[in-house]
Order: sequence, then structure tokens, then C-alpha cells
Amino acid sequence: MKERGMDRFALIIDHESCWGCKACEVACKQENHAPEGIRLIHVSEDGPRMAGDRLNFVYRVNTCRHCDEPECVEACPEEAIVKRDDGIVILDEKACTGCGLCMDACPHQAIAFDNDRGVAQKCNLCYHRVDRGLEPACADNVCLAHCIYFGQPDEIEKGMSRKRQQTQ
Amino acid sequence: MVEFVYSNVEREMEVYGYDAVVKSHCRMCHGGCGVLVYTRNGRVEKIAGDPDCPINHGTLCSKGLASAQLAYHPDRLTYPVKRSGPKGSGRWERISWDEALDAIADRLLNYREAFGAETVVLGYGTGRENEAVIYRFANLFGTPNVLTAGHFCYGPRIATSILTCGTNPIVDYENNPRCIMVWGNNLVISNPDCYKGEPFSRALDAGAKLIAVDPRLTRIAARADVWLPLRPGTDAALALGMLQVIIEEGLYDREFVENHVHGWEPFVRRVEEYPLDKVEEITWVPAAKIREAARLFATSKPAAIQWGVAIEQQINCADNDRLLMFLMGITGNIDRPGGQVLFKPPGIRNVGHFGAHRMLPGIQREKRLGGERFRLAGQFAIINPKCVWDAILEEKPYPVKALFFISSNPLMTRGNAAEVYRALKKVEFMAVADFFMTPTAEMADIVLPAATWLEMDYIGDFWKRHGYILPRRKVIQVGECRSDHEMLNDLAHRVGQGEHWWDNFEQALDWILEPIGITWQDFKKRDYIRGDVLYRKYETRGFSTPTRKFEIYSTVLEGMGYDPLPRYREPPESPYSTPELYRKFPYILITGRRLPGFFHSENRQVSWLRELHRDPVVEIHPDAAKKEGIREGEWVIIESPRARVRQRAKFFAGMDPRIVSAEHGWWFPEKKDPGHGWDESNINMLTDNAYEACDPAMGATHVRTLLCRISPEKRS
Repeated sequence: MKERGMDRFALIIDHESCWGCKACEVACKQENHAPEGIRLIHVSEDGPRMAGDRLNFVYRVNTCRHCDEPECVEACPEEAIVKRDDGIVILDEKACTGCGLCMDACPHQAIAFDNDRGVAQKCNLCYHRVDRGLEPACADNVCLAHCIYFGQPDEIEKGMSRKRQQTQ
Repeated sequence: MVEFVYSNVEREMEVYGYDAVVKSHCRMCHGGCGVLVYTRNGRVEKIAGDPDCPINHGTLCSKGLASAQLAYHPDRLTYPVKRSGPKGSGRWERISWDEALDAIADRLLNYREAFGAETVVLGYGTGRENEAVIYRFANLFGTPNVLTAGHFCYGPRIATSILTCGTNPIVDYENNPRCIMVWGNNLVISNPDCYKGEPFSRALDAGAKLIAVDPRLTRIAARADVWLPLRPGTDAALALGMLQVIIEEGLYDREFVENHVHGWEPFVRRVEEYPLDKVEEITWVPAAKIREAARLFATSKPAAIQWGVAIEQQINCADNDRLLMFLMGITGNIDRPGGQVLFKPPGIRNVGHFGAHRMLPGIQREKRLGGERFRLAGQFAIINPKCVWDAILEEKPYPVKALFFISSNPLMTRGNAAEVYRALKKVEFMAVADFFMTPTAEMADIVLPAATWLEMDYIGDFWKRHGYILPRRKVIQVGECRSDHEMLNDLAHRVGQGEHWWDNFEQALDWILEPIGITWQDFKKRDYIRGDVLYRKYETRGFSTPTRKFEIYSTVLEGMGYDPLPRYREPPESPYSTPELYRKFPYILITGRRLPGFFHSENRQVSWLRELHRDPVVEIHPDAAKKEGIREGEWVIIESPRARVRQRAKFFAGMDPRIVSAEHGWWFPEKKDPGHGWDESNINMLTDNAYEACDPAMGATHVRTLLCRISPEKRS
């Protein structure tokens, strides 16, 4: 057991397994109703490009990484973004003034801007679900590749390496 | 062990205060996935996969997740309408169901009386679990003409598998194939007919080897141990090449061939006509790669082939299907655990029985459009679409007077869309049942509001060959929408078929289930029913074919006057069959790669799905784009010898630079004029449907490979 106050939750995506089906994107929409054009989780194509002597082509799933030292938290002048003790980084839309500094600070382009309401938006890791004992929508067994993992990082790493061993 | 089942139903109910959760069966595609539908105050609030369902194990695709957005869409047609202006004017008047069905019944009866039942054509698109009621209605009405996608989708697999081994061999993912050869299929995106991506994905995670046959580098191809990027349309030659390797190197299952195969020797002689150097020349795939794939497939036990529609929308349709079955067969993978199994459905009244094919009088069956030309299709009650358009436009062999399309948008989805348009424009009477006013519905006289899967009771996967049936339970009512089954049950009474139908459709479900001793109400309480799972059934009973053997040499095709052995035919338009045309149209155009969120021409108005893919996109190799002066993201004109359409250019280096890959099914519901942009980006404006270009046995329209040129729209 980890001590209280240390990171407990993470969302980890096994990109090698992702098929690009985008079910996670729609599961997120169904749960969070982000406005049209805003994708709090977003699947995009990477490649095809040569990797060694063969062409490779993978999908990349981009969403907030809930960084250990989130630059968006530092950048926000309103303190509208906080990192909780359990590791989840939450952007509070009500406190957001729409200055956009967090978007510039984010190294992962994981923060979007809602033009209609004039606020920044990002994945809050469905904390409203997590706090009530449910999984985040994208990680709640929608993914046909079972490639979105939610939980304690070391447990996830164990699960992923078990899968890799089977495949080889 | 199922490791990934999370969904906590009780907690979900508690946290969100839902009133109820209903287990049902999604049909945003052909059906398949078990779902949980959460409701509050009678409204669907959330849809999730059902963790107890053996098909999808709780996962669900983008389409299924967006079902409620479709059901509650503000543009949905929620009451019947009749045309109140000229055809295609977009002027409609609300009418009652009684008025609509009486008017349709009246017209159909009058045409039957005056011109014969065969002048009335019913139609559906791809399989939407309404085929059994539509065939029942047509057969009892006396028309042999039901126009479906069956000539070039799934119908050929059913027809050729019945000829070869009695039924469609389904991959047994549950028992972990050690090698999977995915042939022209992207099941992780399309989740086609009897398959879902999840069990396939899991079999790969369990260590299966992977071979991909695809002109494009899909993610499946990128993950494959061997990728065979064949020249589009040369599947039959490639399969013959692999068979050649397997036979030459003695890698086939001798016991199976000796005891259970019909026609081995003539087949071997036919295969010898395709030496590997010739196959390399035809397919553009290096001989060494073909050999490597053939060896891997033949020496991995068990092994399976994941196939689909791409190989059927070609002139080689029936032979492509047969050749892949022969690969499964001679390697000993038919009806073996982890191979491809001839699954038995539960012992209910099946689709064929319900479809009342035996009640169509012989004299009417002989009038089936195209039945003499496409004889294998005719045998399976399938017709080629051009036969219908010609019967309307040329009135040969007789005039078709009325069309009734149920969940079909042929203006978008059949070859030679300009001809389809002329036929729909000319036909005397047309009724359509659909969710929205599609470009096809806009050409109708009467349009009926169809129910989505959330609004009906039905026996899900009734028509499939994987051995399961699952209850689809009605959750909501939207407007006056009715299921296709209820609608036809009602119409049947109005045209005098009442004695063969029911007071309500629940009684029909009872009748289907009766042989296994349960009613619909009993079935509704279960998650699913599976037929007995038995392997190697042929060892005791033989195969369900005329010779009781696995027919590599088809006695049925021979009897119909076709070549009993498979062969390769060059695509009707190609660098080799039409070299002069190729100089003017120097790219091979492939059509119809699958996209998340869409199902053929559907879902362009569902915002969560349209957001995934805003515009029609044509992929072009960066080298070709440079040559043509095309910039990434700009609109380009794609032109075939028949017409031109526009799609947005995207660079894609994962294919031969001589290939261009366009999307199908595109219309624009956001354009409010009645045409909804049906001919702007519709790839079937470019395709051909000439009889000579169709598969000679199945009548499959060759829409997957043609020749084109491509240029920036601004310059054109």
C-alpha cells in the first residue's frame, strides 16, 4: 500500500495495442458532453513511416497525462487547476477566466478551449466517477483492445508486462 | 479468464440515479453486441457494453455508444409523410400510419393486378435483421424480386459456403487460433457480420501470429508478421499462389484431402496454372513473401482466415470466397477448435423458413430479374441492382412499377449512382422506410418512420452463423416510429396475407422460438441462447453438399453451367485489361475503406460520430501528390471515365503510389436542399455496374477497384 498523499491514480494507454477505433472518444462524449469540436481524449494517426526496414503505422491517444509536476497548474494565474493528493489534475471551469496560459504551458497539447463559454477544458479523469467508486468513462471496459488502463501505476505496469509476455 | 470486466452496474445506477437498466442487443451495424441501456424518466441516458455478453465482453464501438444521439436526433422522421410537390422537391405532408399503409397496399395490389407481382420490387440495404420479414412479405406477395446488398456482400459467402461445405465457416476465436490471416478486412473498425474486433484482438494478445492481406497498411497490417500488399482486385491470384506453395511443399492435411475433399486432382491441375512467378507479376507481391505467408499459415495449427466484404465487391467475388475456403479446408482448419467452425444455431425456425421462400410460386421464381444471367445469385433469391434499374428504364424484360426500400439508400451505395438516380426518378411509385430523409427517401412518394434498435423487440443475430441468438428488448418509443417487422406485419394484413402473419409481431417471435419450447417472454429473461458446439461433424455425417464432401470442384456450379473450379479474372478496368484507359486515368482507385463511427451512408448527422471524421477523404501517396501538385488537406477532384467527385486529400505513404483510396457513402445531411449533396462526393458516381464487369455467378458489382485521375479542385 502506498502512503496517503502519494500518487495513486493514473491513466496509461498501451499504444501498441490501440486499433484506432475511437470508442474511447465517444465514451468520453457520452459521459462529459464536451461541446462539438472539443475532444478531451483524442485518437490520431502516427505514420506510416519507416521503422528499421519496414513501414510502421500506429495510433496515438492524447489526453491529459495528469503530470507529476503539471506545468498547467503553475501557469494558471487563477489557481483554477489543482493536482489532488491522489494524482488527478482537475481544471475547475468555474474558476477559469479563459486566459489560455495553461494551454501554452501544456507540453502535450491536452488542453482545449471552449469558444462558446470562453473557458479552457481538459480531461479531469472523470473524478466525479472515480470519487464514487467508478472507472473513468474511457477506461470502463469500452476499448476493444483493452488498451486503456486506470489505477495504480505499478499495478498497471504489471498487467501490461503480463500481456506483453503472452504475445511473445 | 476475463480480466477486463469493470462495469459496475449497481454502483452506476446508484450514483446517477437511473430508474432502470435494460439488457439489449445493439444494431447500429448488423447487430452483434450485448448492451446495457440505462434510463431515467423514460429516456435513455447512457449506453454501455454488456460484460456478460459472449460476443463483445462489455466493450462497445463508437456507433453503439452514440445510439441515443441517433434515436433522439432532431432531424429524425417521427411520422409518415407523403409527397406534396413534384418528385424530389422536398415538399412533404404529414399523414397517419393508416393512410400511408393503405396507400402503399393499394398501389402494390393495383400493380400486381395490372402488370404482375414481379413488377413490385422490395429492397433492403445491408443486413439489418429485417431481411426475414421482407422476404416473407415479398414471397407471399408473389414477387421474386428483393433487391439487397446480397449480390456483393455476405450473400456470396453464404452461397459459396453452402456449395463448398454446407454453411459459413466462422473463426473460432474463443479457442485461440495460433495464426490469423486477415484478408481485406479491418474488423477492429468495422466489426462485421458474425465478428467483433474484441475476440480477434484478444486472440492476438494470446500470441497468435498475424498475416495481413491488404493494399493499404492498416494497423492490422502494421502489426502483422507478414503483410502482403497486393495489387487491388488480384486476391484470387494471390490465393491461388498460396495454394500452389502449400500443395507443392506438401503442407496440406493429407487425411482431410484424401477422405473429405471432392475434386482434388482437377483442382491441383488448375492451381498449377498459377506458378509463383506469374502470381508475383499479377499481384505485385514478391514471390518470397507469398511463400513465407503460405508456409506460416499452413504450418500453424489451428489457423483461421478473417475475411469480409472487400473480396466480394469484385468480378472475382464467388471465386475469391471459394479460394479462401479452400485455404481453410486443405490445411485442415475446417470445423476444428481454434479454426473455422460450421456452428449450429439453436434449433429455432430459421431465417430461410421465416422468409417463406417455398411459398413463392415456381412460375414467379422463374421471373426473377437477372436469374438467367446470374444463376448462383438467383438460386439464393438475390438479384443484381442493374437488373432493376434496367427494368425501370428500359422496361425489359418487363417494367418495374414500384419500389419499396426499407433501410436502404441505393443512391449512395450501389454502383453507377447516376443510373440509380434516373431509375428512381422514373419509377412510378416508391415507398421508403428509414430514420431520416436520406437522398433516396427524398425521391419517394411515401416515407415511413423506422424504429432504431432501441425501439423494438427482436431476436438479435437471428440470421447469423455464429450459433448465438440474443434478445433485443424495446426500451423506448420515439414519435410514431415503428419497427420494420411491425410495419410489414401490418401491411401484410392490408394486402390479403393476413393468414400467414400475426395479430402482433410478438406472436411471430413466439413462432420462431416455438421449436425450442420457449416464448419471447421466456427468451427475454435470458442473456442469450447458443446452439450445440460440436467439432469435426463431417467425420461422421460428411458435409452438407451433394457429394457429402468438401467441394473444391463444385458440382452445383457445374450443373449451372459455370466452371466448377476457381480461376483469376483481371479487374474490368486495370493497367493490364485496359492499358489505353490507364494512360488517361493513371491511378488504381480503391473505394470503401472503413471509418470509425459511420456505417456505409449512415450517421453523418450524428454529431459525436461526425466529429470523428468531418469530411470525405481520399488518400494519396505523397509521391503521387507531389506529381499531381496536390497539397495535404485541400479538396481534390477524383475522376473516372464516368464522372468526377470531390473529396479532401490526405497523404498516406502506406500503399503503392499507383493506388488512390477514396471513401464511400458520403452525403451531407447538413445541406438542407432535398439532394443533400448526394452526387458531390459519392464514390458511386465513378463506379461502373455493367453486367460484363460483374461476377458471372453472383452478379456482384465490381465497385472496389477502378481507374481514376486526381487533381487539385482549384486547378480544375
